[in-house]
Amino acid sequence: MNTTARPLAIGRLRIDHGVFIVVSRLVAVTAIVVVLAILSPYFLTWSNFINVLRHAALQFMMASGLTLVVLTGGIDLSIGAVLGLAACLSASLISTGSETIGIVFALIAGLAAGAANGVLVTYGRIPAFIATYGMLWIAHGLGYVFMKGEVIYGLPQAFRWIGAGFVGPIPAPVIVAVVLFVVLHVMLHRTVLGRSIYAIGGNPSAARLSGMPVKRRLIAVYAMSGLLSGLAALVVIARLNAADSSLGEDLLLAAIAAVCLGGTSLFGGVGGIAGTAIGSIILALVVNGMNLLGVQTFWQNGVMGAIILASVLADQLAGPRLLGRR
Amino acid sequence: MDRRNFIKASVAASGAAAGLGTLVTSVYAQSGGKPTIAFFVKNVTNPFWKGCRIGAEKAAKDLSVNLDVVAPTKPDNIEEQTRLVEDWIVKKPESFVFVPVDYKALVPSIQKANKAGIPVVNYNNRMTDVEVVTYVGSDDEKMQYELCKYLFKSMGDKGKVVHIDGVPAASTAQARKRGFDRAVKETPGIEVLASQPGQYRRLPAVQVFENLMQRFPVIDAVVCANDDMAVGIAEALAAAGRGAKTKVTGIDGIPDAAQAIAAGKMFATADFSGHDQSYIAVTAAVRQLRKQSVPKEIMLPIVIIDKANVKNFMMTPEERPVPNWDKVVSGKS
Amino acid sequence: MSAAAHPQLIARSTARARNAPGALYLLATMVVALTLFTPDFFSVANLTNVLLQVAVLTIVALGMTLVILTEGIDLSLGPVLGLCGVAASMIVVAGYPLPVAIVAALAIGSAFGLLNGSLVAIAGMPPFIVTLGAFGIAQSLATVLTGGNSVTPLPEYYRWFNAGVFLGIPVPIWATIVLFGLTWLLLYRTKFGRYVFAIGGNKQALKLAGTRVSLYHVLVYVYAGALTAVASFIMTARMNAAHPTIGVGIEFDAIAAVILGGTSFEKGRGSIAGTVVGALAVGVLRNGLNLLGVSAEWQVAIVGVVIIGAVALDSLRGFNT
Repeated sequence: MNTTARPLAIGRLRIDHGVFIVVSRLVAVTAIVVVLAILSPYFLTWSNFINVLRHAALQFMMASGLTLVVLTGGIDLSIGAVLGLAACLSASLISTGSETIGIVFALIAGLAAGAANGVLVTYGRIPAFIATYGMLWIAHGLGYVFMKGEVIYGLPQAFRWIGAGFVGPIPAPVIVAVVLFVVLHVMLHRTVLGRSIYAIGGNPSAARLSGMPVKRRLIAVYAMSGLLSGLAALVVIARLNAADSSLGEDLLLAAIAAVCLGGTSLFGGVGGIAGTAIGSIILALVVNGMNLLGVQTFWQNGVMGAIILASVLADQLAGPRLLGRR
Repeated sequence: MDRRNFIKASVAASGAAAGLGTLVTSVYAQSGGKPTIAFFVKNVTNPFWKGCRIGAEKAAKDLSVNLDVVAPTKPDNIEEQTRLVEDWIVKKPESFVFVPVDYKALVPSIQKANKAGIPVVNYNNRMTDVEVVTYVGSDDEKMQYELCKYLFKSMGDKGKVVHIDGVPAASTAQARKRGFDRAVKETPGIEVLASQPGQYRRLPAVQVFENLMQRFPVIDAVVCANDDMAVGIAEALAAAGRGAKTKVTGIDGIPDAAQAIAAGKMFATADFSGHDQSYIAVTAAVRQLRKQSVPKEIMLPIVIIDKANVKNFMMTPEERPVPNWDKVVSGKS
Repeated sequence: MSAAAHPQLIARSTARARNAPGALYLLATMVVALTLFTPDFFSVANLTNVLLQVAVLTIVALGMTLVILTEGIDLSLGPVLGLCGVAASMIVVAGYPLPVAIVAALAIGSAFGLLNGSLVAIAGMPPFIVTLGAFGIAQSLATVLTGGNSVTPLPEYYRWFNAGVFLGIPVPIWATIVLFGLTWLLLYRTKFGRYVFAIGGNKQALKLAGTRVSLYHVLVYVYAGALTAVASFIMTARMNAAHPTIGVGIEFDAIAAVILGGTSFEKGRGSIAGTVVGALAVGVLRNGLNLLGVSAEWQVAIVGVVIIGAVALDSLRGFNT
């Protein structure tokens, strides 16, 4: 299978694989929007637009770190659990008035857990799936031990801005997500680290042979994934005005779905952050649409599963053919 | 296996053995001849169960028995609670104080406990087809019914209502839903816009509700199956600037909800006190061991909490006064 | 093409690791320590208890081993277990005879395997995503069919799948032994087995060599689904009720058991005997922590450390790499 992200040719036109992903996803988004606009009178309203964007922003924060890990050909199953742990630790500090320390602590806790994943994967030579699955248990466990079943409630108004505030008409989490998107996009395409992420995912042995410090780069990537979980934790607790140790459950599978919908290959080396951003929007649109149309929540997992299968299958079948690949 | 591997393995093995040894000594140091009660909860994440745990610990202290709190590591996991019951039957404590994470699926496990001769006090979620010393709980259906009637009355018996269900398979959620449905049926002016599960948890409930808010520009009231979800939804409404127009109710009477009611964010809740239930349940278990009388069913009184009486409910489970057995059993407290 | 065309390739792939996986040390350590430190552990009653507890996990993990040997993964097995249990129970509750329910459960398990296998082996999609999609679909179907409720009341004979005893040994333990034997025969004595190892060992070369590889590759997923369907009967009988979400999470425990048992995610190396050891290690660990009275909060963290520790032990001493 061809897993390198090189330009593809349609006749004489050369299209970047990333452009294909983005364009095809935008077509999907447009289709969903048109269908929902016809089916539900509440869909095309400003407040619903903002609502969808806010959900997508949160989804994106969870999925962005995972995207980096997946691009290297790895996986991070611990993101939800690390989010939960970071949320509890920082909320306990923030609610007692140490806002700055709390914020820094969330980021450091995420970073540390992520870096530990990276070390286990590289120097410990443990498969990413198992290392991060073990970390999932450890982070949940520490969260449970720390919280003892308690909920931390009532965070300062100033802190809550990051989750519940607005800049003009735009919710603060959306601004955070956009800034994050720009930073990660530049990082992936304009820095050495970004290029090595693709190189490691595309062909790890070649990357190693080229003299790249693969282990250190991988640790950096897992650490970033943890750091971004910490950031997402801050936004989530600010939005809910509360933190409990069950916060991170259920977030993992949705994040993986957003990455896949965004066309990032789980084989590594192919995809990018733009795809994940659109994948997050698709996910938020679909959930929003199902709720607006009154679809029972029981169906939502199934619809999501079918959409994931359909999108990856479509990439697999139509992508190369349309672009004259193979 | 070469020698180096063997040495590594032996070092790891002896380290693990030493660790286990320390654990065991610390565990066994605690018992000291008193009867032991295994006290089950559904998870270690929801504050409701923390309240239960504290009530049970107070009872154990007051009656001088040992209490072991038993919880699944994966919240509300049926398969794991089954294994927990099996393992604790092996340990053979004097008594079980038990809440099933699923009131049907845990029946065979509790039947095994019955067979092993371990007395079982059932609390919170009622089980059938098993032998229990007593059931301690609240009448969930009646509680939600009375709370809804109270809410509807405040709305002039008309308006548009959204219902946020708990975990649909939980017997408490089903009973609360029945109470809600009965109250709606008796009040023709009430229109139910939607009923969706929120899994008894804040984040899923808020996510479902934020989308429902888009679908329904006017919502006069939101009836939630528990407080954790209700507080989250009250926050979401306040964030959308719709807090003043929509009345939110929950059930449980957790301190967060009391604060939200005091702040005018929530309309009302009902006191479904895990603290009181578990205190009475552990007391019942001990009375049975001491061959004192225990009624077949113990129902805690239903108290609706709103702005008028919320001050009495703002304390934490640690601060809450313990219920009086005689008063609860005689049904007048 | 036939397997004989690649004698070297297949011989190399089927060469099994001679060392024991870290899980065996872990298991031995725990058994010794628990026997010394708790009065309750080393008794026929408790050991039978542990075997009954790990039966479902072991059966699911046997199928998972084959999937992982082909460098795949099957996340859908947990929800498929729930769906099979729910569907079979609804059929029985509706008054149809048991064989109909058994056939239906096997059909559902195999159908999901067929879906997963086809998309992985023929369409070339990543197994993680394919089975994640199937996870959502199976989960939804199970909850929609039941409205999120348990299916009861089951006929009295249903309990036989868990509580029945034959020659002094409970049915779930028999089922584990028989299915282990069947899987062993398939894996080490048939062409199917040789292909399983070969697909994981060198898929590209085999792909060039012929199309029958894809068929065997699909069958691996079908077999895992069918084993899961069998396990669902034991699970349902244990609860005397079929619950739609009962299986969720088992897929991850099964993967952990397989990897603890020394099977590698890459290169088609591993063994089903290792998987049984891995599943037993998981079961004894959880049983031991309960008998020792370790609180749930700490158990969660300890399980994580043990999983990482055992696998690290393997990888650091160069086991299976």
